[in-house]
Order: sequence, then C-alpha cells, then structure tokens
Amino acid sequence: MILDIERDQRRFKQIVRGKIRENLRKYITHGEMIGRRGKETVSIPIPQLDIPRFRFGDNGSGGVGQGDGEVGDPVGKPGEGSSGAGGAGSEPGSGHFLEVEVDLDELAEMLGEELELPRIEPKGTASIMSDKAKYNSIRQTGPESLRHFKRTYLNALRRQISTGNYQPDNPCIVPIKSDKQYRSWNDVPRPEVNAVVIYMMDVSGSMTDEQKQIVRTEAFWIDAWLGKQYKGIEKRYIIHDAAAKEVDENTFYHTRESGGTRISSAYQVCAELIEKSFPVSDWNIYCFQFSDGDNWGDDNQKAFELLSDKLLPAANVFCYGQVESPYGSGDFIDALRKQYSDNEKLVLSEIEDREGIYESIKTFLGKGQ
Amino acid sequence: MKLRDDFLSELSSIQGQSNRQISVSEGSRRLRCEVDQSSSLAASVYELVLETIELAQVEIASLQLASQSLCNRVNYLLEPISPIETDADSCIVQMRSSPPQQNDTARNYYELILRRGGSIALYRYEKQPGAIRSRVAVTLTHEVLGRLVDDFIATVDEVLST
Repeated sequence: MILDIERDQRRFKQIVRGKIRENLRKYITHGEMIGRRGKETVSIPIPQLDIPRFRFGDNGSGGVGQGDGEVGDPVGKPGEGSSGAGGAGSEPGSGHFLEVEVDLDELAEMLGEELELPRIEPKGTASIMSDKAKYNSIRQTGPESLRHFKRTYLNALRRQISTGNYQPDNPCIVPIKSDKQYRSWNDVPRPEVNAVVIYMMDVSGSMTDEQKQIVRTEAFWIDAWLGKQYKGIEKRYIIHDAAAKEVDENTFYHTRESGGTRISSAYQVCAELIEKSFPVSDWNIYCFQFSDGDNWGDDNQKAFELLSDKLLPAANVFCYGQVESPYGSGDFIDALRKQYSDNEKLVLSEIEDREGIYESIKTFLGKGQ
Repeated sequence: MKLRDDFLSELSSIQGQSNRQISVSEGSRRLRCEVDQSSSLAASVYELVLETIELAQVEIASLQLASQSLCNRVNYLLEPISPIETDADSCIVQMRSSPPQQNDTARNYYELILRRGGSIALYRYEKQPGAIRSRVAVTLTHEVLGRLVDDFIATVDEVLST
C-alpha cells in the first residue's frame, strides 16, 4: 500500500515538474517568486493540472423507457431526446490555482536544463576541509537535553532485571544516574568548496521600481543556480547610489533610495569586502552588478581603476547587467565595452525588460566559470 | 528683467540664422543659449544655461528645495518635471521629465541640472531604440524662453535667500 502512495506521489511530482518546465520562462520573468521563497522551497501557483478522472460512458445513462407508445415502436437511444435550453454561463470561470512547493535545488536544476547552463568549474584547488559536528556516539555524561531516552531506559531495565527489582506485574522502570546515556558528537572532516556571490545593485533615483524588480528577479535565479552548484555558498549584498553600503538580503530586495549614481562607490565597498573576508586564494568569487548605467560622468574613470586593479583579478567572473532606463541615459555598458573589449572575466548583458531576464541569465552563467 | 529682455532682444536679432550662440550678462549672472534656428516667434535651442558664481557656497539642502520649486514653476513645457537624482558629493540636482514623452520612434525628455558653483541648465534628449541618447534641439516660443529665464533667475534668488 505504501508503495502505491509513493508511486502516486512520484507521478504527481512528475506532472508538476512538467507543468513548471512548460511555464519556466514565465516563472523566470515573474518577480513574485521572491515573495514565495521559503528557506529551502518556493511556492509556485500552477493554474491547472490535468488529473485523471472517471467519466460515464453512454451505457451508464440508460434506463427503462416510459410514456406513450405502441408495441413494436423502437426505443430511442439514451441522449437522443430534445435537448434542454442550456446557455453559456455569464460569470467568468474561476481559475483554480494549485500551490505546489518546489525544492529550490530542483528549480535550479530545471533552470540549468532549460537554459543549457554548464556546470561551474571551481577555481583551481580551492577545496578545503572543514570539520562538521555529527551526532554519532553515546556518552555517560552530558546535558539532559541530549539524553538518549531509549538507551537510558534499556539500561535501567537491564539493571532492574539483573538485580531482581523488575516486577512483570508492575513494570515500573526508574532510571538512576548510572543508567543515563547521552548523545554525543564527533568532528567529521568534510570537503568543502568556498564560494561567495557578491551582488551589487544601483538603487539611485533614476532606477524605477520596475527596473529594481527586474534586478531582484534576476538575482533570485542566479542565487538559485549558484546555490545548487556550491553547497553553503556565501552571499553578500551591496546597494549604492552616490554612496555604497553592505546590507542584508532583505534590505537588498526591498530598499528604495534616491541619490545620484556613483558606481565606483559600490566597487570600493566590494573590493574592501573581498580583501577583508574572502582571500582570493581560498574563494571562488562571483560578482554581479546591476545598474541602469546612468553613472555621473566623472565617476567612470574611478570605477575602471577599481575594476582593473582589484575586482577583475580577484573574481572568477564579474557580471554587469544594465537594465534599460526609461530615459535611455545609461552608457556605462558602452564605456565598459570600450575599456575591456578582450577581458574574458567581464560578462556584460543588457536587459531591456522582464523578457530580457531569461537571456541575461544565460549570458551570465553560460560560461561555467 | 534686464537679462530676460537682453536675451529676447538678441534672439530677435538672429532671426533666420542658424547655429548661433547667444550670451548676455547682468552683474555676476550670465545667460548662454545655443540656438539651432530662430524665427520671429520661436527658436529651436540645444541648451539654455544660467551661470552664476553666487551659487559657489550653497548647501545641497538648499539646492534640493530650490529644485523642487523650479519643477513646480516650470509647468508650461507640457511634460511634468521632477527631481530624479541628487549627488550630495558634487552638489548637483538632476531633474527630468517624469515620465519621459514616448512616441512611435523615440523617447524624449527635458533634463534640468542645478549645480553648486554654479549653474542652472536646460537640455532636451532623445533616445531611439538601440542607440545612445542624444541631445536634440527643442523648439520653444520666445515667450516660453523668456519665462524660463525668469524662472531660472527666481530659482537662484531662492537658493540665495535660504
């Protein structure tokens, strides 16, 4: 019986997976996914699932004929009588949405398959061993919160039987101190690849809400893909207008500012962060920067210096996504093209609108660096 | 008023000519205008700039306040204008048409820059799909240009009074 349920569950998952894959492009361009994100899963509304169901055949609607008639008159077939005056419903059909929880890793896998993203090759021999505590042993002492009830009571039972204190008619088992057993841990070395993703977003006044939403949606999917490639990936978020600061994930996704645009301020904070917390020899560093490219003119040179001297040498890949501004005033991407035409670490992408997110992700992650 | 009258008088004097630069002064204030073409009633201009050293020491807060009132005053260009970005380091306030005007082929918008140092400038930009934005000439009647000059002067006076 259990097997049947598991089979049904598998089949249901397959159907859901197929539906998601069918509409993946739509989901990628939908920003609402961010709000639906749990710790490990994403809740996705599926508009319709074709669930198999029983349908009555013709034979099922027959019955005994009634009414006037002579002997020998043929009996009509079921359903051949005059049809009733049915009409179209006046209310719009209510779409029944089924909310399904999808594992983030599974979603990332689908993204990878859909966009044909290559697996990421970790930089050099950056694999290091880290100790991970694993509860796999038993000790005689420990905190009560780690007491192993089953073993403790088994010990007490053994002791009571061997000392003749156990009464089958009154099976009362009282553990004493020497019976108590506690769970304990051992340090298990675990191989680990260090990777950090640093997101930088322009939140200046020229970035409209729509542009910010595009950035957040793209960051969400990049996050999902890299999270699948590297377990325990570190993430850092930087926002900037004329000044930059490191913020937490929630602030990154929800903040609004209105200052001018100085991209170099974000580069400066990013460079300091890498220098302080992520030694280049030990870490795979991925930088993703998003802006409308409407940088104050005199700032480009300073930004290029930081990019050339500090960020490009440190990063596995540095991705710059320029979201189309309603004013079309962004020219930072053109300046980057001129300055770094042959730098393989720098990946540039122009995102015109929500539809552009799909191609942009492919551009950024398509190299597998 | 003198600056405005001198400017309009210069504008009238270059009727029928193209690609001319007008510059008139009053005290420490100088008005510059790059004219593409001019007729008896209107002119198409690439930029209109009022420069003055009186804004050399102003605070960003004063500029922000003044930019807001400038946007409220300049309501006759058929596009609402509002402050977009403020650069506190350089003490610059950028104002633009909000939203930009969209037609079948391109997007157009006004940009006003108020900066410490200082100056107030008006430009018109056009952005065509797949191209970098470019500065274009905007055709305004002499009356509207005169009104703009008055509003620029009023803005400088407002900054100085705060």
